[in-house]
Amino acid sequence: MKTVFITIALLATEFPVLGQARDEQKLGDDPAYLTKAAFQIDTHIASFYKRKKLPVPAVTNDATFMRRAFLVSIGRIPTAEEALAFLEIEDESKRSDLVSYLMNAKGYTSHMTNWAFDLLRLRDGRPGSQANNEPYRNWIRKAIDDNMPWDEFVTSLLNSSGSGWDPKTASVGYYTIDRGMPLDNLANTLRVFLGSRMECAQCHDDPFGETERMDFYHLAAFTNGQYEQNKKYMTKLWRETREGRKERGLEYRVAQLFWDKIYGMSLSGGGKGRIKLPSDYQYRDGSPGELIGAKTPFGKSVRMSDRKDDVDGRAELAEWVVTKTGEQFPGTIANRMWERIMGKGIYEPVDEYIESSETVYPALMSYLARLMHDLGYDLRAFQQVLLLTKTFQFATNPNPSTLVGGDDFHGRKIERLSAEQIWDSLITLSRGDPDKNQNRTADNRIYVGNKPVLVGKMDMVQLSKEVLALESESEVRNYFKTFMATMKNGGADLKGGESMSMGMMSVKKYGRDAPVRASELPSPAPREHFLYLFGASDREVVEGASLEPNVGQVLSMMNGYVQRQLVSNYGAHIYKSLEGASSESEKIRRLYVAILNRPPSNKEMGWMKEEVAAQGEEGYRNIVAALVMSSEFLFLQ
Amino acid sequence: MKNILNKADEPTRRQFMQNAARAYLGVHLFPMLGPSIASAAAEGAAKGAKAKHVIYLFMAGGMSHLDTFDPKPKKKEVMGPTETITGTAGVEISGFLPKTAQVTDKMCIINSVNSTQGAHEQGSYIMHTSYAPRGTVKHPALGSWVLKLGGRIHKDLPGFVAINTSPDLTSGGFFGAKYSAAPIGRPNQGLQDSKRSGAVSQEDFSRRLSLADRLNGQFHERFPNTDVKAYEELYKEAIALMNSKDLKAFNIGEEDRETRELYGSGNFAQGCLLARRLVEHDIRFVEVQLGGWDTHYDNFTAVEGRCKEFDQAYSALLIDLEKRGKLKDTLVVVATEFGRTPEIKTEHGDGRDHHPSAFSCVLAGGGIKGGMKYGKTDSTGGKVKKDKVSIPDFNATIAHALGLPHDLVLMSPSKRPFRISGPEAASAKPVTSIFG
Repeated sequence: MKTVFITIALLATEFPVLGQARDEQKLGDDPAYLTKAAFQIDTHIASFYKRKKLPVPAVTNDATFMRRAFLVSIGRIPTAEEALAFLEIEDESKRSDLVSYLMNAKGYTSHMTNWAFDLLRLRDGRPGSQANNEPYRNWIRKAIDDNMPWDEFVTSLLNSSGSGWDPKTASVGYYTIDRGMPLDNLANTLRVFLGSRMECAQCHDDPFGETERMDFYHLAAFTNGQYEQNKKYMTKLWRETREGRKERGLEYRVAQLFWDKIYGMSLSGGGKGRIKLPSDYQYRDGSPGELIGAKTPFGKSVRMSDRKDDVDGRAELAEWVVTKTGEQFPGTIANRMWERIMGKGIYEPVDEYIESSETVYPALMSYLARLMHDLGYDLRAFQQVLLLTKTFQFATNPNPSTLVGGDDFHGRKIERLSAEQIWDSLITLSRGDPDKNQNRTADNRIYVGNKPVLVGKMDMVQLSKEVLALESESEVRNYFKTFMATMKNGGADLKGGESMSMGMMSVKKYGRDAPVRASELPSPAPREHFLYLFGASDREVVEGASLEPNVGQVLSMMNGYVQRQLVSNYGAHIYKSLEGASSESEKIRRLYVAILNRPPSNKEMGWMKEEVAAQGEEGYRNIVAALVMSSEFLFLQ
Repeated sequence: MKNILNKADEPTRRQFMQNAARAYLGVHLFPMLGPSIASAAAEGAAKGAKAKHVIYLFMAGGMSHLDTFDPKPKKKEVMGPTETITGTAGVEISGFLPKTAQVTDKMCIINSVNSTQGAHEQGSYIMHTSYAPRGTVKHPALGSWVLKLGGRIHKDLPGFVAINTSPDLTSGGFFGAKYSAAPIGRPNQGLQDSKRSGAVSQEDFSRRLSLADRLNGQFHERFPNTDVKAYEELYKEAIALMNSKDLKAFNIGEEDRETRELYGSGNFAQGCLLARRLVEHDIRFVEVQLGGWDTHYDNFTAVEGRCKEFDQAYSALLIDLEKRGKLKDTLVVVATEFGRTPEIKTEHGDGRDHHPSAFSCVLAGGGIKGGMKYGKTDSTGGKVKKDKVSIPDFNATIAHALGLPHDLVLMSPSKRPFRISGPEAASAKPVTSIFG
């Protein structure tokens, strides 16, 4: 273990990452470094097998490796073309080449986005309000696409303020999505980024004695005081317009636009650093209504005064989470990434942090936390390392982990695909490579009621910037009046200018039934949607997705979406791939490669040939239906 | 940390529980295997239990007890703009529920429910399972327990149907997928895809299944795994369902206009109507969810809106069930995660926060005496003052209504003991005085 650390430490001094500008040579871009790191992980695993005197599991075959790698890294099965290319190449390095291909594929962003949306509970709309979370959604997506380092990502969320529409500050959605429930928001912050479960301490001391309600309030003091920027200047105008709303005229709709979508989506107040204990505070160490200052419960201590309101509590909290909690911050995300790629976390649940020394594999866990840190929180590179390991290539083991709280490393655990993986794979079969589709784009148009106005002349980014800058009630009233006039004359007095260049005419949106990646569809999926049926998260709670089987899923496979979009859809991509096939067996082979990504066994070829002999053309459809309904399709091996 | 402690502690605790159960409580420990324990359970059934079915209406997000079933008309500062009205049999409820007020004679409002869990996930989980969530075991939902203990009634239709709910809260847990709810997204669409597509002949359909069956047989042989096996069982279940002559149970389109108008047109209303059809067709347990009760912000506008959805549908359900003679054997439950604070948070646009220490649930039908309230909260609705009902008590009461043994221990596949009424057999007591 010591030698490993020395090696890593040496490498880290050669390529300094933290504290230095990130655009210098990044370790994550150095293939040799990644390979070496993968080897270190395998060394740890090997020593574990040796210690336990267990045989090391075999490495899986090419076909299983390929399907597994595609599904965990880009969230779909390979297209028939991709599958054939990989299976037919005979090249020593083809597995690591595939990993590079996948980690640089567009599908990586799509698949990671689903993960981030589940983690951050990203819902597009806000019930009862015109405000929405679309700019925040786009912010997350872009951050993942740019491979923003995780420490920077988390800091941008926790220390956000400003307009909800400006692409630079749209991460305020992290707080505004939970407006009215800052305490739940804080509990989730601790859970998601540090693996500390504190939601119970909102109301009472943890009976296991780990967290007290006082600790929770000390933490809540950091983020206390979240306001809508300058909203008070519009309060009177909004009230007047709302009271006169009977006719629901244009004026009311514009006022609602300002109130909900501009003020309502903004965030000011940097965090007071102090908070009042709640009226039902029940312990001796404080009294209801007492002001207490911010204080961190573990890691390097950070405190703020209870004597005055401060302005940078959120910044302090962000810095503490990311840099002052020792191994906890890198360890938590490292374990989450391990779970994503390897199927099981080193410890589980992944949102209940365990110090590496307390895990079953202290040396490995602590190495991973270190690696995450040394890679500069480059999640793409970290996942690439895991994909390059032998451990990732272990053969399938159908038995559940023998270890209650995590992975026993006795081979890959068998697990049903997520709703998104199934959907994206079906789309691949029916439409071909879904990553060739255009992504959805931000819709920054100004909607009054349901109608976009001033298109090409002004957008929400510009409008919210101007409105939020107004600094008195009279300025707001004047601006409102002028804006009403501008709307009525169709924006004749606007120059257009900077917002014209934003390509607002080409907004790309997908409806709920569009045959595109799940990551491009409305969030959450509606309750009757295929995705929901298969357990996609409703995104009300952290990581709310489910792999539970139910009878509805089976009906859908037999008679529903799969039937309509794939099996009976003569134009489906999979049938096109049969063109030019010279024989029955060639057609059957192609169907197998497209759907299960492997050639049929001799026995299977026999069954399928019989089917075609009996039913002719319809036989191929029956084969497609059977292959998609099979457990082999639904489960990751 | 916790996990490791649990793990270390487990064998001793398990042993203790087994011995304790055998020696002192006189309960039987049934192995998980074997067809069903329904017959054994029936012998131990409480005498005179009247309910056969449950319609479980879950108010997701945490329904404000003060603004619905536990108003405090004397406390203006607690009530804000919410008014109080007097319903049939003199029962006082919120002015947001005028139609429900017409059926309070059929209802028993429990004002003294108390939960230990004040966050959404934990709150809804314990309500549905009687247990706090644990990383190491997935507990079965109430509907799954009822199936396990009482058996299904219709042999082809699913015993447990969940309308507009979350799959994690209606899961069979360690009982397996067979006990999970069949999910319905939109009640007016019924059980989606339950008919063979017109584009497929019966012959081709059978051939597909037979091919898939052969492929699966192969796969299961290579990878014997419970989750994989679950899908195989579900295919059998789905085929039986497709062939059932009672599939029409899922089609609310067959209801006449008058009945549909009685319930109203919203998703929840249609869910209630569908629930009634389903119990008429011998489905054991139906859950319908109504979300949006998490009223941290602008509580009064939001609650008024939720009550509009709830009021007509719920009152219609009780009236309709009674008219058809089904109210006497159908227990209609209104449950939620927790209540909301008496304190009105002006800084959040007059919102109310989570409040698990005192809130209200409602029972009606299935042998429940109507026109009554059970339990009391203090003058602000903040604390339980009389006849506290814990979540295990509440779920034990549901079991009692059905004549199911609430203290019967079933072992999970990992050989840990569980009950429908939660971990502490001694402390879970059904509220029996509310039955007629």
